[in-house]
Amino acid sequence: MSATSSTSTSVDGLAVHVRGLTRRFGDFTAVDGLDLDVREGEIFGFLGANGAGKTTAIRMLCGLLQPSSGSAMVAGVEVGRHARELKRRIGYMSQRFSLYDDLTVDENVEFFGGIYGLEGAPLRERSEELLPLLGLADRRRTQAGALPLGYKQRLALGCSLLHRPRVLFLDEPTGGVDPVARRRFWDLIYAQAAAGTTVFVTTHYMDEAEYCGRVSIMVQGKLVALDTPGGLKALTGGRDMQDVFLRLVEA
Amino acid sequence: MSVLGTLVRKEFRQLRRDPALLRLVLILPVMQLLVMSYALNNDLRHLRVSVLDDDRTPLSRRLVEAFPHGVTFTPGPGAEGEAELGRLLREGRCDIAVHIPAGFARDVSDGRSPAVGLAVDGSNSSIAGRGAGYAEALLTREAARLATENGRPGGTPVKPAVRFYHNPELESRLYMVPGIIVILVTIISALVTGLAVVREKELGTLEQIRVTPVTPLQMIAGKTIPFALIALVDLILATLFAVAWFHVPMAGSPLVLLLGVFLYLVVTLGLGLLASAVSDTQQQAVFTVWFFLVFAIMLSGFFFPVQNMPPWARALTWLNPMRFFMAIVRGVLLRGAGVGDLAREFSMLALMGVAAFGGAVALFRRASD
Repeated sequence: MSATSSTSTSVDGLAVHVRGLTRRFGDFTAVDGLDLDVREGEIFGFLGANGAGKTTAIRMLCGLLQPSSGSAMVAGVEVGRHARELKRRIGYMSQRFSLYDDLTVDENVEFFGGIYGLEGAPLRERSEELLPLLGLADRRRTQAGALPLGYKQRLALGCSLLHRPRVLFLDEPTGGVDPVARRRFWDLIYAQAAAGTTVFVTTHYMDEAEYCGRVSIMVQGKLVALDTPGGLKALTGGRDMQDVFLRLVEA
Repeated sequence: MSVLGTLVRKEFRQLRRDPALLRLVLILPVMQLLVMSYALNNDLRHLRVSVLDDDRTPLSRRLVEAFPHGVTFTPGPGAEGEAELGRLLREGRCDIAVHIPAGFARDVSDGRSPAVGLAVDGSNSSIAGRGAGYAEALLTREAARLATENGRPGGTPVKPAVRFYHNPELESRLYMVPGIIVILVTIISALVTGLAVVREKELGTLEQIRVTPVTPLQMIAGKTIPFALIALVDLILATLFAVAWFHVPMAGSPLVLLLGVFLYLVVTLGLGLLASAVSDTQQQAVFTVWFFLVFAIMLSGFFFPVQNMPPWARALTWLNPMRFFMAIVRGVLLRGAGVGDLAREFSMLALMGVAAFGGAVALFRRASD
């Protein structure tokens, strides 16, 4: 990885460092002065109602969208100025299953590995390591389209992990699957965080919010709360995260 | 409200919510109707006649002037010798070449039948046959009149020696088959590329690739190279088939054809990418490319000669890459034209390639911001 002077000015121990991040579309402000810090190796829950601006914020942090104003450092790279370097250091998995249905598990892995310059022996080693972990070792020749949804999501996660990203963005990664599959998915997320990967995750499942180290809640483009799940319950007097969420969003 | 009424109403509502599709199904057909009804006709118009007068007598000049400068015939470029006259015909710069040999005036006054040469570009058979007949009748009548004036009424009339170049049997097949090859290559390259990109848009894989370090240029190259190769293989197969089965001559060099198709593919792949950039669904992409295709085919000279079109339509054809590629394929296959003969076509395609591909790259860059 190249570390030019402009990309190594990360704040110590912070994987994500955001100050005043704003994005306007015409006269609509989708994200309004966002401030947040995420520590390395943390699982950070990014919550909010639909249309609160989460996806716009994530798209900026991934280098897909230019901020209107404000600044953000992700994995030591200034967002919006060094998009390619940023993209080498992050992984992204969206709510939509965005792999190739007509390619096999192995072919998808080869494609996404190749995009990051991973091929030959290093790619083989990495997939030997990841596929058993994902429970896909015996499905390598199956076309992705033929996999059950839970497996597809784990494959998508695997493809976003191939290049060992420092920060992993998950945009509603577990939509539509059963509780067992979700639990299994979160075991994988925990393992990644334990290995030092920072996980930045959005979800609508409030039991999943409980799994996060810290949780932020966004309402109409602004951050209205940011604390541990326990801290948020104490602050709002909510019984569980569901209750906390409803109180903050409907306030 | 009946069930059928409910179903129909829902379909119209959805159509109204898709302005791009609405434009395509309502406005564009009207545009096509307007342009094509006026632009396209298969009448004999503006046949360019080049004359080489080796006799240089008052009599021969009168024969030259027999071609009225009107709707049917217009003067083509002049020629200094037989070689140049042949080149004008080969390069497609004139449609009919008339050669009045030295001794024409003497033959007429001596009552001999003068040997006037009439060569016609036969590559567009429907026009060539009628054009040749018209020109032949004109020459015969005029020569007979000149003979009468010179005191040889009813003397041996002129019988011009008519030769058709490039397609001596005037088979329309020879004219149509190369045109069909051009259309095949266009559909494969523009439509299939456009669809492939929009499909990835619909699937969300395009978005997934945008969060990787892949640059827009890499993305575009990766998307177009496979279809360029497929289109190239299609061209080679179709050309082999045309030569072996339909006996279309391969009068020119296959290398010239390959250079032409390379330039043309840059244009059509660029256009496919442009269509995909402005389309969110495969349906929109298909309609956009289809609209372009109908215009391109009609204004390419495939069915209707460009020279028959009114000036504004002829001006429009300068924006049509298919017109130039059509000229290259027919020129190489039927007339044996080389790069020099087709310099205008090659430069236009190169220019359009830069514009279309450059535009597509710029759009993809902007979309990835």
